[in-house]
Formats: sequence, C-alpha cells, structure tokens
Amino acid sequence: MSAYLLSLLVLLPFLCGFAVYPVGRRSPSARNILTTAVTAVEFILSLLLFGMQGMEGGLEGVCGFGLHFTANGFGSLLGVLTTFLWLTTVSPSQEYFAHGQSTHPDRYYLFYLLTLGAMLGVSLSADLYTTFVFFEIMSFTSYVWVVQNEKPFSIRAADSYLAIAVMGGLVMLMGVFLLYDMLGTLELDRLAELAAAVPAEKRGLLYAAGGCCLFGFGAKAGMFPLHVWMPKAYPASPDPASALLSGILSKAGVFGVAVVSCQIFLHDSTWGLVILLFGVVTMVVGAVLGIFSVDLKRTLAGSSMSQIGFILVGMGMQGLLGTENTLAVWGTVLHLVNHSLIKLILFVAAGVVCNTVGSTLLNDVRGFGRGKPWLMLVFLAAGLSVSGVPLTSGYVSKTLLHESIVEYIHVLATRGVPIGLFRAVEALFLFSGGLTFAYMTKLFITLFVEKPAQSQPVPKGASYMTLSTGISLAAPALGMTLGGLLPHQIMEKTAVFTQKFFHGENLEETLHYFSKTNLKGACLSLTIGVLVYLLFVRNVLRRRDADGSIVYVNRWPAWLDLENNVYRPLLNGLAFVGAFAARVVASVGDWVVLVGKIILFFRAPRIIVPGSNEHFGVYGKDPERDVVTETFSYDLMLAGIGLIITLLYLLLH
Amino acid sequence: MLLILPILLPVVVGILVFLQKEEAKRNRLVVLSVLLTAATALACCLLPDQSLTLMTIEGTLTVTLAVDSVSRLFLIVICVIWALVAFFAFPYIKHEGKGQQFFGFYTVTQGTLMGLALAANFVTLYMFFECMTLITSPLVLHDGRFSSRKAALKYMGYSVFGAGVALAGFFFLAGYLTDQRFTPGGMLDPARAAEHGHLLLVVYLLMVVGFGAKAGLLPMQAWLTTAHPVAPAPASAVLSGIITKGGVLAILRVTYYMYGAEFLQNTWAQKTLLILALATIFVGSMLAYKEQVLKKRLAYSTVSQVSYVLFGLLLLTPEGFCGGLLQVVFHAVVKNVLFLAAGAIIYNTHYTEVDQLRGIGQKMPVTMWCFTLGTLSLIGIPPMSGFISKWYLAMGAFHAAFPVVGMVGVVVLLVSALLTAGYLLPIVTRGFFPGADVTVEQKEVGPYMTIPLVILSAFAVLLGLFPNGLIHWLEGLSGLIF
Repeated sequence: MSAYLLSLLVLLPFLCGFAVYPVGRRSPSARNILTTAVTAVEFILSLLLFGMQGMEGGLEGVCGFGLHFTANGFGSLLGVLTTFLWLTTVSPSQEYFAHGQSTHPDRYYLFYLLTLGAMLGVSLSADLYTTFVFFEIMSFTSYVWVVQNEKPFSIRAADSYLAIAVMGGLVMLMGVFLLYDMLGTLELDRLAELAAAVPAEKRGLLYAAGGCCLFGFGAKAGMFPLHVWMPKAYPASPDPASALLSGILSKAGVFGVAVVSCQIFLHDSTWGLVILLFGVVTMVVGAVLGIFSVDLKRTLAGSSMSQIGFILVGMGMQGLLGTENTLAVWGTVLHLVNHSLIKLILFVAAGVVCNTVGSTLLNDVRGFGRGKPWLMLVFLAAGLSVSGVPLTSGYVSKTLLHESIVEYIHVLATRGVPIGLFRAVEALFLFSGGLTFAYMTKLFITLFVEKPAQSQPVPKGASYMTLSTGISLAAPALGMTLGGLLPHQIMEKTAVFTQKFFHGENLEETLHYFSKTNLKGACLSLTIGVLVYLLFVRNVLRRRDADGSIVYVNRWPAWLDLENNVYRPLLNGLAFVGAFAARVVASVGDWVVLVGKIILFFRAPRIIVPGSNEHFGVYGKDPERDVVTETFSYDLMLAGIGLIITLLYLLLH
Repeated sequence: MLLILPILLPVVVGILVFLQKEEAKRNRLVVLSVLLTAATALACCLLPDQSLTLMTIEGTLTVTLAVDSVSRLFLIVICVIWALVAFFAFPYIKHEGKGQQFFGFYTVTQGTLMGLALAANFVTLYMFFECMTLITSPLVLHDGRFSSRKAALKYMGYSVFGAGVALAGFFFLAGYLTDQRFTPGGMLDPARAAEHGHLLLVVYLLMVVGFGAKAGLLPMQAWLTTAHPVAPAPASAVLSGIITKGGVLAILRVTYYMYGAEFLQNTWAQKTLLILALATIFVGSMLAYKEQVLKKRLAYSTVSQVSYVLFGLLLLTPEGFCGGLLQVVFHAVVKNVLFLAAGAIIYNTHYTEVDQLRGIGQKMPVTMWCFTLGTLSLIGIPPMSGFISKWYLAMGAFHAAFPVVGMVGVVVLLVSALLTAGYLLPIVTRGFFPGADVTVEQKEVGPYMTIPLVILSAFAVLLGLFPNGLIHWLEGLSGLIF
C-alpha cells in the first residue's frame, strides 16, 4: 500500500491539475478550494515520507523504462519542502489574482499543479531516467508561469527561460545517454559504485557525460554562465511563482548537481574543484547583481543566484574533502533548506508589496513597510538569516560551509600544498556574505525605514494582506528562527537525516557554532557588508533628484549583459552559418536539374536576317513555335530515332 | 486470397468515388473504403504469415504478396491514419473543391500503399512504388495552379528517376541473389557476393539513394519541400506522414531483406549513407528553422525527421532498427497532427505564414493543443512518444560499427531536436501567449476536423507513455533480422 503512496504523491497533482482547469471555468471559488485542498493533501501525504524511508515504488513500463520513485533522506526532505512551499503559496496566488495583477487564473493553476507533480517526481526519483523525465516536464510547465502576464518583457524573459531550459535539457540528455551506455543503469543508488569501477581510459568520457548533466542541471539552478534567464524570469513571473521558482525549482537543479557530484563523482577532487570554481563565480556574480539592482524582485533574483553559488561551493568542498566531508554535506543541505524558506518569505513579501503598489522598483516601493510591523518582522527574520547574522539559521549553514573551506585549507597546509587558491575562495566567500548583508540592508531600509516619495503615496491600513498570506509568511519565518536558535536539535537532525544521500558520515565531536573563530568569520563578513552599504550603496547607487528626494539609479553597465551581447548574437550567427551551409547542400539536386534543363533546352542562336529584308525576317519566323526544334533535346531525340532505326535494321536484316 | 483484398477494395471503390458526383454519397463511399480496407488489412495482420502469387512475369520473376512483421506494422499505421485523415478531409476538400478528383485518388492511393506494404519481392515492390508515385501526383496538383503542376512534375521526376536508379541497381543485384523473395537477414549468395563486394556496395548505395528520393534523403530531397506544401492539407499530411515512409519501407527491404545487415556492416557504403542521413537531418531542421511559411516549414521538418528513421535503419544495430521503426510510427502520427492542424488553421483563417499565427491558440484552442502535443513529441520531450524513439536511436548509434559517426550522430540528433524546438515552439508560445494587448475571439473548426486531430495527438501521448507493447514487438522483429 505505502509503495503506491509515492506514485500517488506524484500523480495526484497531475490529475487534479487537469480537473482544476474546467472547474475554474465554471466557478473560481470552487477552483480555489480545490487547489488549496490538493496542496494540503499533498503536504500531509508528503509528511508520511519521513516514516517510510527506503520505500520504493513506481509505474512499471511507463515511458519505456518505467518511472521509479524512492523515499531517501534528501529526496524526502526536498519533497516535503516542495509540498510546503506549494501549500504556502496558494494563498498568495489567490491574492495575486484577486488584486487583478494578471488574467487567466485557470491557466495559472493548471500549470501550478502540474509543476508540483513534476517537482515531486524529480525529488522522489530513484533513477536518473525518472529525474530527467520529470525535469523536462517541470521546465515546460513552469514556462507558463514566466509568460503568465504576457507583457513584452515577460514574453522575452520566458523565451530566454524556455530556450535555456530546452538547451539544458538536450545537453543533459546527451549526458544521460552516455551514462546509460557506460554504466548500464541509471539507478541513483548504484551510480557511485559503477562510476568508481569505470576504467581509467574511459574516465574522460565519464567527465564529458558528467559535464553534460551539469550543464542541464546547472542551467536550472542558475549556475554561471547559464544564469542569464534568472534575473529576468523572476521579476517577470507572478510573485508566488517567483517564490516557487527561486525557492524550490532551482533546487531541482541543485538536486541534479548533487546526483552528479555526490554519486557519479563521489569524492572526486578534480570534479569538486570544478564545481567549487563555478560555485564561487556564481556566488560573487549573483551578489554583485543584487547590489546593483534597483528592483526589489531583481535584487532577490541576484540573491537567489548568489545563494545557489554558496550551495555549489558546499558541493564542491564535498568532493575536495573526500571522505571527511561531513561539514560540507551539512552545510550544503542546510543552506539549501534555508534558502528555500528565505526566498519563499522574501518573494511572497515582495508580492504583498507589489499587490498594493503595482510595481517592484525600489523607488516606487520606498517606505511601503512603515507601520506594518508583521511584514517587517518576517522580512527581518529572512533578511538576517540570508545574511548569516549569528543566532539565525543562515548563520549555522554558512558557518558550516565556511568551516569546510577552512578545514580543507588545514588539510592542504599539513600536506604542504600551496593554499593560495583556497584562501582566495574563503575571502570571496566572506565577501559575498558581506554583499548579501549589504543588499538586504538596502532592501530593508528602503522598504521599512525610508519615507515614501511624495509623488506616490502608499495606501495605509491593515488590509494590505490577508490572514492566510500572513500565516504563509509567518510559518516559515518561525521555523527558521527556531532552527537558528536550536542548531543542534533541529538543524543538525535535518542534516543527519539526509546525509546518506551524499555519503556523509556522522560527526564525532560536537560543533561549537558560537566559538570565537566562527563568530569572527561572520563578524568580518557583516563588517564588509556594512562598509559596502555605507560607502557604495548610499553614495554611488543613489542620487539626489532635482526636488530633493533621493532615488536609486541603475549603474549597471548595459553592455554587461551576457544574453543580449553574447548568447543571442552568437546563436543568431551560428544559425546564419548553419542555414547558409544547409542551403548550399540542399540546392545540389536543384542545380543538377537546372544544368540538365539548360543543356536539354539549349536553343541554337538565332539566324540573323539581313537588314534589307527586315519584314520577311520578323513575320516569317514564329519564335514560340520553334522552341522544340531548336533545342538540344530535339537533337537528342533525332539521334535516338536514328539509333532505333539502326537497331531495327540490324534486327530485321 | 485475402491478401489481394486490401489492395483491390480501395482501387474498386476509388473508381466508384470518381464517378460519384453527389457529395454525401461519395463521402459514404470513402468511409466504406477506408473502413473495409482497414478491416481486411487487420484480418491479414492477424492471420499467420502467408503469401499469394498473382502472376509470373518470367521464370522466377513473380508478382507476389505476402504478410510478414514489417508489412503488419506498415499496414496498421497506414490504415489508421488513412481513415482519420479521410474524415478531416471531408470539410476541408468541400471548401477546396474538386472532391471527386481528390477522394478518388486518395482512396486508390491507399490500395497502392497496401500493395507496397504487402509486396513480397522487389518487382512487386517496384511496381507498387511507381503506382504510388503516379497516383499521388494528382493530390499534389490538386488546385491546378501553375506552381502546383510544376511541383507535381518535379515530384514525379525525382521519384521516378530515383526508383529507376533503384531498379537499375536491382538488375545488377539479381544475379547475386539466391532467392527473389524478401528474406529476413538477406538473400545474397555469400560466395558470389564476396567476389564483387565493392560493386555490390556501389549498387546498394545507388539503390538507397534512389529510393531515398521518396524519403527525402539528400541529395534528392528538393522535390519534397516543393510538392508537399502546395498540396491541400490532408494530402500534405499523408504525403509527409505516410508516403515518405514508402521510401523508408523500400530501403528497409533492400537493406535487411535483400542484402542483409551482415554484408553491409562496417562498410564504406554504410558510412557514406549514415553521413548522408545525418546531413539530411541537419539540413532539414536548419532550413525549417529559417522558413516562414508554415506548411513549408513542416515539409522541411519531414525531410529531417524521416532521415532519423533512415539513420536508425542504416546503423545496422538492433536498437537502431527499433528506434527507426518507432520513429516511423511516431513521425507518421505526429506529422499528421501538425499538418492537419496547419490545415485547420488555413481552413479557418487563411493564415499561411508563421508570423500571422499570433494568438491562434486562443482562437483555436483544441487545434493548437493538439499542435502543441505534436510539437513536444517531435522535439522529443518526455513523456511524449518522440522521446522514446530518440532514446533507441541514440543507443543504437552508440553500438554502431563506427563509434565516431555514432557519437556525431547523437550530437546531430540533439542539435536537430534543438532546431525543432526552435522552429515549432515559437508557433505554440506566440499562439497561446500573444501578449496582453492582443485579444482574439474563439472560433474553432468543426468536429470532423478536431476529432481526428485529438485522436492522433492522443496516440502521440499514449504511445509515449506506454510504448512497451510496441517495443517488445519490434524487438521480436529485430531478433528475426539480426
């Protein structure tokens, strides 16, 4: 019975999704009740996953190989996180449509539920084939979220999103093909041992396969340089959808990267280094994007990218540290959970702002939060946590990640290997943490401290959000705060629950999160943040307007847009070259026919009639009628007739 | 005697259709024909393997029909699609005019296709192949415009020339065969064949290229993109979806039932043809990407997609063979969905260019949902059917005799899938999400057009979700051949 639960968990949203659409056409309120009910049921069912670890189930024969699900630690955690995020975004979604921010709610809810099913399919997948199938479904169904508003920029953002998703999917498929060909199976449990047994001469091909998978999963996670869709797609989507995209869909990419890094390339230091470097670049670039942004949701998008970078750094450190990687494993998982909850809060809060103000530009939303203590509190909780301020959950996860880097530096130092690179990684890690603090301070001060611009009075009153949205915001904030206050009891338990997936082991000594060295790192990071905010954000990114008010200005150079200046021209150029070559090749047949025609219908040059006899020349000859007799084919025909006569003569003679 | 029925029935009824001036009666006759043919074909499929010699031309040269696994596959695919497209064609052709001409040839064509599928030796195959070319030409020149007549002429020129080359090849080959009947695993006399190995490979290359003209294989693909788009939509649908598979069937018979995979394995001829097929895949997709007229775009897409089949068959591996035949089925279904959807759009709005299709999804939701499912399947997005065939093709390519060509082949397949996404997805996304400023009134076509579309797209989805029956059956077939 419980084996069916896994399939049910995945299939239920698909079935209900298709029911929601016709229901919504007749009665929007029935549709709202149905979606709430489905997500609630899903959440409750997913909680059962904790009690059935190691359970397997699936749909045999579907899609050829069959879809297989399993309840392992990491997958279950991701599954529960998924259903929780969906449950908490139902109410903000309803509010979003109630405020008239978008039309076509039925379409939104259809794809809202389909994506839930697909996301659960990814989380619970037992083999890479199932992961791939649901990953692709997820990419396509979530496309509809991005395009939902159908504004010109959302259509453009959605195009980029889809293009990168399709490319990522196909490159990943190449990787899956190669892996299946090399290993003979795609079961997640067996990938590690089979990959370890791959002979050295085929190792290069294995890296190629891993690289292909990384491309696909990394694109979804927002890894540099495939992040280009992220800062455009998040602001374009409806706010609850952004919360899901950032909070959990990007984690599907992380899940895939974990499959590649922690199963196929388990404890492989070369691979670990590659992931680490991608992680560092993603972390820094995302944070810099966040600092420069003048849009609330765009800042959060940059932040998402940066935090994914932190998670990837943890993943890279796992590979580098080898078997002694528990700190990195814990840091990775906990930061992932933290980031999901944080981004849920921040994007839903941004939605609350946007529902009233109708814009997310920092200059428009300024001072919106004044006199709204509840909103301020949850925003503060999320902001502090993502910045890694002590006593928050973010502090715990970032400390673990930081510690893993420090540990590796120690290991290298005892081996006598140069450590300069990892010192730099550590410095960039703290620097990015500082930038995080700086842009969160910027957002907080803009929303809750600064006075609203006079031209745009912000409506006051308690009805800026519904109670259920308030609960949706408070629940994750509360959970996170508790986790931060009780790191050993809550956060470590969570990490231990999932560590088997990453092949992590229990730590013997207890960790002291609030030891002097750990606090020092956080303080350094926060100091950098304060300095960046005071010196850079306040002075460079703001300008005093003619009427004396202070406004944020976009100082991000326009030429620094990878998508518009590199990817799109590059792809267009490739398409041009490809089409040119294709046209040349394809026209071979036509050219041959044309040459044949020219030869066959070649007309002998006209006989020039002497000028003295002009009239005779013009009327005496009808050029149309003589086409036949003047062509080469006519000559050929005559020759043919001659041959036949010869043949007949020979035969009859 | 049963074997002659699926051929004779449509031909006889087709002649009656020609003579029937009244539309309702004519349509009833067409329905009668497609249903009866389907029933007799199904009966042929269910019976054990059997054969029927119609006449002896001279010595061992006979016109013989037989039913085997390959013919069963083609018979079923043809009959199902022929019946569904017929229903779609009723309103479409009424609108277009010249119903007698269209339905007459449409019905008779099915007979020649049945013959092609049932042909048990090369002579019979060649005969029905040429019949098919001649009888489908009127479908191309249906509207009688100068451009259509020219296109039909081009179509006939390429096809007849190609088939002629193949026939010339057969004259060379006949001396090396132990038996005239198609035999799984080939019927070459190994001792004699070994003496003139290279000559036989040249002949093989010519035969495949010749029949390849029908399947849109480079270098003789040019007619396809001229002829398919000018035909009325139901005709383009079957031309692209089914008739091109006639070329595939002929190549399959030559490769696996005359030469045999063993003889061709790891030869330069195989390599050359694989490269030709890959080039065709890329060229078709690339030109489709740059094409603006919807039906032309779909025709270019056919060039590319049918070469997926040829690539799979020419790999000479069991997986590649399965992948190729899966692609035959899936492409037949999907390309019909896409062309019929394009036809429904033309019927309803007279839009022919891609740029005009903004908001079409809101205008014709059922049609465009079908179009979307077809698109996803053609790209090969799981869980649609196209994904399954692509999986098998890739696995076949990895196990092929030429590792480099195989690897490049998989890359080309994926690049082509990307281009497929590039030329079809924008139609879907612009169609459903035209922008908030565009308002479109809903105006769907009637059930005669939507129901066949819905059934075909349901096939595209269901065959992807539950492909195992078909796969097992094809694996049994490939066990016979390899």
